Amino acid sequence: MMTSSGHLATKNTTNTAIKIDKLNKWYGDHHVLKDVSLDISEGEIMVVCGPSGSGKSTLIRSLNHLEDYQEGVVSVFGQPLSRDRQSHKIIHQTMGMVFQNFNLFPHLTVLQNCTLGLTWLRKMSERDADKMAMRLLDRVGIAQLATRYPGQLSGGQQQRVAISRSLAMEPKIMLFDEPTSALDPEMVKEVLDVMIDLAKTGMTMVCVTHEMQFAKQVADRVVFMADGEIIEVGPPEQVLVNPQWDRTKEFLQHVL
Amino acid sequence: MDDLNVKNPPALKQFIPTPPRPPRQSKSGIFGTIRQRCFNSIGNSVLTLCVVAVLFYLVKHVLDWAVFNAVFIADNRRQCMDISPDGACWAGVISWFNGLIYGRFPVDEQWRVNVGVLLGLVWLLPLMSKRIPLRNVILLSWIGLYPFVGAYLFLGGRFGAELGWIHGVMTCLALAFLTIIYVNWILSALGKKGLNELFVPLVSRFVERRIHLLSFVAVWLLIALVMALVLNQVSLEPVAIERWGGLFLTFIIASFAITMAIPIGVVLALGRRSKLPVIHWLSMTVIELVRSVPLITVLFMAVTLLPIFLPADVEFNKLAQVLVAVCIFAGAYMAENIRGGLQAIPKGQYEAAATLGLGYLHTMALIILPQALRMMIPNIMTSFISLLKDTTLVSIIGLFDIMLMARNIANDKDWVGMHTEPLVMISVLFFLFCYSMSQYSLTLEKRLKVDR
Repeated sequence: MMTSSGHLATKNTTNTAIKIDKLNKWYGDHHVLKDVSLDISEGEIMVVCGPSGSGKSTLIRSLNHLEDYQEGVVSVFGQPLSRDRQSHKIIHQTMGMVFQNFNLFPHLTVLQNCTLGLTWLRKMSERDADKMAMRLLDRVGIAQLATRYPGQLSGGQQQRVAISRSLAMEPKIMLFDEPTSALDPEMVKEVLDVMIDLAKTGMTMVCVTHEMQFAKQVADRVVFMADGEIIEVGPPEQVLVNPQWDRTKEFLQHVL
Repeated sequence: MDDLNVKNPPALKQFIPTPPRPPRQSKSGIFGTIRQRCFNSIGNSVLTLCVVAVLFYLVKHVLDWAVFNAVFIADNRRQCMDISPDGACWAGVISWFNGLIYGRFPVDEQWRVNVGVLLGLVWLLPLMSKRIPLRNVILLSWIGLYPFVGAYLFLGGRFGAELGWIHGVMTCLALAFLTIIYVNWILSALGKKGLNELFVPLVSRFVERRIHLLSFVAVWLLIALVMALVLNQVSLEPVAIERWGGLFLTFIIASFAITMAIPIGVVLALGRRSKLPVIHWLSMTVIELVRSVPLITVLFMAVTLLPIFLPADVEFNKLAQVLVAVCIFAGAYMAENIRGGLQAIPKGQYEAAATLGLGYLHTMALIILPQALRMMIPNIMTSFISLLKDTTLVSIIGLFDIMLMARNIANDKDWVGMHTEPLVMISVLFFLFCYSMSQYSLTLEKRLKVDR
């Protein structure tokens, strides 16, 4: 298909953060990812868009092994991943993820949500963990809500907590799986602002999103997927403004 | 987004919210409400009067029997009958009251039962306060250490003689732990450092890591040593297990089953959801087998079958066999409760835990089980209540629990044939316990609801 043209990185960064090579996945007989290949450079902001059922969520969830795939290789910083312990370690040390439904732990306070990984996995002292978590919560503008429980927060606030929870583990790559799709329109902006700030820090980001404004504003490259295939890859002004394929154009007419 | 923030044209009207106003209050008062609800039509008035008449009839008869015509002081049943033939004869229950509570425990030693039960409750008291740190540790210490203190007080005996060395050592450790909990509680109320910090300066001279833990262990061992020296001088009259009975025995069986049900249930429930076939099938077999057999048969099997499988020289007493049987039974039921809770946890919680890097044990212990158990509090409490009531079945295999003691009253030559009053008495006692358990579960639910 068209994938080969997308391999040209628009930034002249040297390191490849994620290399996806001929990924294939089936749900039963249903072929959901068809020979998907993609390179993501370090520091790159990659936005994945496409109609629902196109396999974009499956793709991003395959990167950190929330989904199994049957064929193909994903490499992170040059290390090909498999199903062993070592690969799990690499995934957890390098990748954080933000979900559509936030998936905060409802029985823990906002602060405890953020410090959980630090105290139990990093064996950090409670005081250091609290300090670090508070710094992150302050960065996303909700430090004053640290002692609340997730159920007491609005959707936008919950998603911001989810972002700081992921950032607490100091990932090199952040995966966003439709982070604003479950939010009221009024709250989309506060989450996107946090993501824009994060993008400015040089974090490698892969975002599945329908927010085309966000894609235009911060994405280095946009991937358009349909029916389990990557149809177009390129800088936003190319893919979103001058699409080469009829499928892309049709989709953009619906969203924009 | 940027293009949404169009500048407001200046001519827009300013929106001021309407001030809130309180809801309308009903002014009719109690009598008005009653008239509105119960006498608002002829049919309803008749219905109300009928219900009141029936209630009055029932309450009057119950009160007549239980209070107004009842006999409280008499020497035997014949006297009761002579004084008031159609009233309750509480005198029998009163004269047997001690037996109902303590079974055949020697009267002179009954203070030990009181002290033991009180100690158990006192140990759990700090759990009520939200300000006390490490409440999980206190609960665990209760489960792990309290049974030794309880058994020491109830069984009696001297260290190294009737009382085994291990049991003795554990008793001292337990008592020392309880002391530390309470002294720390008082010290923290006074704003001072805990007792366990006492040796920190000393310990920090020798080691660099885990100073606080080591200091705590040092203090703990020291107090335990003092306890051992004191207890070594004390000699409690040995009481055989066969003499335990009454409400006291019911409590022992029920509280043992209740505390063991959760851990056994968690293990079985997780086992049943395990992807490893051996563990899955093993847990499922245990759960389904135990659940499809009545408790009575499980009890009989424990008493008659278990000794056949065990080597001849291993001798279990009947109580231990019953405890094992009740625990497995309660655990199997609890497993299904907990499995229900586990299934209600959304997949996203597992995924979020996985992306943080939490392994299976961490995910279960920190994320999934706390939520699942919380969600299942009403069901778990229901199981506990039925467990408390089910323990009366042990009377059938000859343990002198409160049920058997009550039926024994009818065999006493002074109170021959007196069946009703003891049963009523037991019903009232069980109602009190079970009702307060269900009330406690309600408050617990309310308290934990804050997080939702």
